Amino acid sequence: MPAMKQQIISFTVNGEPRDIAVAPNRSLLDALRDEAGLTGTKKGCDVGECGSCTIIMNGQPVNACLVLAMEAEGSEITTVEGLQSPDGTPHPLQECFMRCGAAQCGFCTPGILVAAKALLDDNPAPTVDEIRFAIAGNICRCTGYTKIIDAISMAAPAGEHAMRDARGEVTQ
Amino acid sequence: MTERKTIIGTSVKRSDLLAKVSGDAKYVADMHQPGLLYARSKRSNIAHARIVRIDTSRALALPGVKAVLTHENVPRVLHAGSPHPRSASVTCDQYILDDKVRYWGETVAVVAATSEEIAEAALDLIEVEYEALPAVFTIEDAAHPDAPLIHDREPGGNLVLPPVVVSRGDIERGFAEADFVIEGEYEGGRPTPAYMEPNACMCQWDGNGNLTVWISTQTAFMVRGIMAEVLGLPLHKVRVLVDHMGGGFGAKQDLFQSEFLCALLARQTRRPVRMEYTREETFLGGRTRHPFKLWLKQGFRNDGTLVARHARVVYNSGAYGSHGPGVTIVGTNAMTSLYRCENIQLEGRCLYTNSPIAGAFRGYGVVQTYYALDIQMDEAAQKLGMDPAELKLKNAVREGDIAPSNHPLIGHGLPDCIRRGMEEVGWAALRRRPRDTKGPQRRGWGMGCEMHGSSAYPGIKEQGNAIVKMNEDGTVVLLTGTAGLGTGAHTALAQIVAEELGVRFESVSVMHGDTDVVPWDIGAFASHTTYLGGKAAQLAAIEIKRQLFDRAAGLLDTTADQLDCADGTLQVRGTDRSMSIRDAVAPRKGIPAAQFVGSATYHPTKSYSFAAHFVEVVVDIETGQITVLQVVPVHEIGKVIHPIAAAGQIEGGIQQGIGHTLYEDYQIDMKTGRSLNANFVDYKMPLSMDMPSIRTVILETAPDPGGPFGAKGVGEDPIVAIGPAIANAVFDAIGVRFRHYPIKPEQVLQALREKQAVHPAHPTHEEGVLA
Repeated sequence: MPAMKQQIISFTVNGEPRDIAVAPNRSLLDALRDEAGLTGTKKGCDVGECGSCTIIMNGQPVNACLVLAMEAEGSEITTVEGLQSPDGTPHPLQECFMRCGAAQCGFCTPGILVAAKALLDDNPAPTVDEIRFAIAGNICRCTGYTKIIDAISMAAPAGEHAMRDARGEVTQ
Repeated sequence: MTERKTIIGTSVKRSDLLAKVSGDAKYVADMHQPGLLYARSKRSNIAHARIVRIDTSRALALPGVKAVLTHENVPRVLHAGSPHPRSASVTCDQYILDDKVRYWGETVAVVAATSEEIAEAALDLIEVEYEALPAVFTIEDAAHPDAPLIHDREPGGNLVLPPVVVSRGDIERGFAEADFVIEGEYEGGRPTPAYMEPNACMCQWDGNGNLTVWISTQTAFMVRGIMAEVLGLPLHKVRVLVDHMGGGFGAKQDLFQSEFLCALLARQTRRPVRMEYTREETFLGGRTRHPFKLWLKQGFRNDGTLVARHARVVYNSGAYGSHGPGVTIVGTNAMTSLYRCENIQLEGRCLYTNSPIAGAFRGYGVVQTYYALDIQMDEAAQKLGMDPAELKLKNAVREGDIAPSNHPLIGHGLPDCIRRGMEEVGWAALRRRPRDTKGPQRRGWGMGCEMHGSSAYPGIKEQGNAIVKMNEDGTVVLLTGTAGLGTGAHTALAQIVAEELGVRFESVSVMHGDTDVVPWDIGAFASHTTYLGGKAAQLAAIEIKRQLFDRAAGLLDTTADQLDCADGTLQVRGTDRSMSIRDAVAPRKGIPAAQFVGSATYHPTKSYSFAAHFVEVVVDIETGQITVLQVVPVHEIGKVIHPIAAAGQIEGGIQQGIGHTLYEDYQIDMKTGRSLNANFVDYKMPLSMDMPSIRTVILETAPDPGGPFGAKGVGEDPIVAIGPAIANAVFDAIGVRFRHYPIKPEQVLQALREKQAVHPAHPTHEEGVLA
């Protein structure tokens, strides 16, 4: 089986324009992980069932394993590596995930953080049901979701559990 | 002296989480080496067969293919595949690759190539000719005298180990004293751990005969030991590295063939080789919980006192022994306890079948036996007209009772959990409430109990090791061999060291996951990491604290026994004389800093943690759908080191327990053994939309002196009690008694129809039917 000839695609990932050489049969997930060196986005199933590879593409959360790399030409992409501020300050979602213990093994965490960011970008005060729905496609096998939902609620900039009310000790 | 700020019991920010939330944490599949080759496995499409011919020539001819291995060109060494070499329960029944296939999906060949696509394409070019053998998939078929033998080893008859027999008291006298006897058969399906990170490993040889293995494993030193043994290497030539791992839940104690094959491919090609399982392969080649059948008969007095217990359990090990012996021994012995009974007769068996390999999985044989034991207590309560919680409380094990480990229990953990849960949910009022009789939605409450040991003693004579070093600025490094599955164990261990030394939590770092550097470790399993690894860390910290105090006593003109240390400051008791640890350790007048190193080895026995789960469900009698509405888990786990991490274990265990009770069952075709649902669409797990609210209560009423600061384990416990709690709640809701898992909607409807046929006037709340 001769390998397919690589082609150059151009997209902006986490604010940085990138030109990536990739074979046309590769997924965007493989392009990000293997060619762009962004391994924060995880491969848990490679067939769109687990959500570990969730990224934001042109404002929408997508499973990167279900997007061909070539389809990303000209797009704006955010991965988990793009959540922190340039000065390294964690995003409120990241801060709340740490405080609430919303990550255990951490493998699903990048995908859930990105799915949650897409939610909060769109809806700064989601209800618990809206949060559950936004991460319905993300499998977490460690946490029972309880602390993930707490953390997203706490990180919501206009939510009733917004972080400004919860600074200091995280309470159970 | 300033008031001591206690680090133990505080939910400090876990030391591994910044890397995990930023995407910087590297898992094995994230690692790369120059010249990396990609390996893939060819798996059998038959459940039981001899390989008559295997031809790899076309695969080898494919450009980009660098090596192909089959049973014909790998070393033939019989090995155990995991369970600890010092445990009594080793089953040597595996080869790296064999000329016989024992389950559908077993690896028969591997390819290393310059890309995953080429490796994948090469698999189709490998020709395998099989001579089919008769296959057995159920424990009944495997136990038949004429059944084909899956392995040619003792004790024969497809038994993984000789039957485990446990007896206490006089079973015949016990039943003679009983006012009534209750008997039933219980059964469980095949849940899998379904950790999010598919199995992965990468191997590289350095040119001087040294092998480095990057792997997602709970047991780095076991991987090192078995790889060294099978590959014929001394231990110092094999270095196993584990950093982050995406869950294990017990199953990642085994070796999965891929480790040896990666190492052999890397040696042959003189290039680094990485093998990642696909999700489908993680089902096929992974490990499951043991499916089981259990017959249980118990005798009671009319006042509810249990007087006799007779049980036989049979576990389905699948194609290899793996943890079958340990699971059988632990699961069978567990039935000596939980509910006190003086007259006990138990038998546990474990059988090979041509099915997916069952292995270690959170709850280790006890999920199965306590499901039966707790549900039958509910059945007995119904017969007696008693409140099931009161009956369980009456018979709950308590201080001084002999545990399955043959140790007297410490404290009244189980009664404490039951009482607290009854208060939390207002149990007495719930029992008195009128049941739903109209409309399709029927609510019910149930409760279930469990106890679980921290450590695998006495099956394994456990050992925890730690080294603690102090740097010249007073900061501290803990070296531990225990793996970080994701539980936050390394944070807990650092808290223990910080507390013991009197330094800030942030002043302690943890070095782990490098078998060449850290002290030997038995592995992260059996809910023992905090209990035994933590105690070893505490003892090592005590050792350098002694060294530190001896030095500081001279500098502060006092004696070591007059010193206290907190927040990094040493203080002479009852005076205002103090100095920082940093100053006490620091170099002075050209003399290098003091070198403080402490090491400790700890040989624990075992402690037991306890739980009672209270659950509300709603059953839709038109669709058969069971929904868990809320769970109130009450756990007694001794001193809590990190409350949020402990609660996280409980909530996650409940998620998996709801899964195996209501949805999860990895199925095979019963004619061919072919896997039917090796993916996340067909293998259903509870996700964000399915999870109920969980209000966790943690008690510290029975701390164990064998654990650090009285801490005990919590990792496995929560998956045990939730199952019977749900089944009992379903009975409360619709009056149908289920004695198996998973309980599926169609079975609910079928049982309701049968019940309707028997008692047409009373569609609910009658004698339970067998389902």
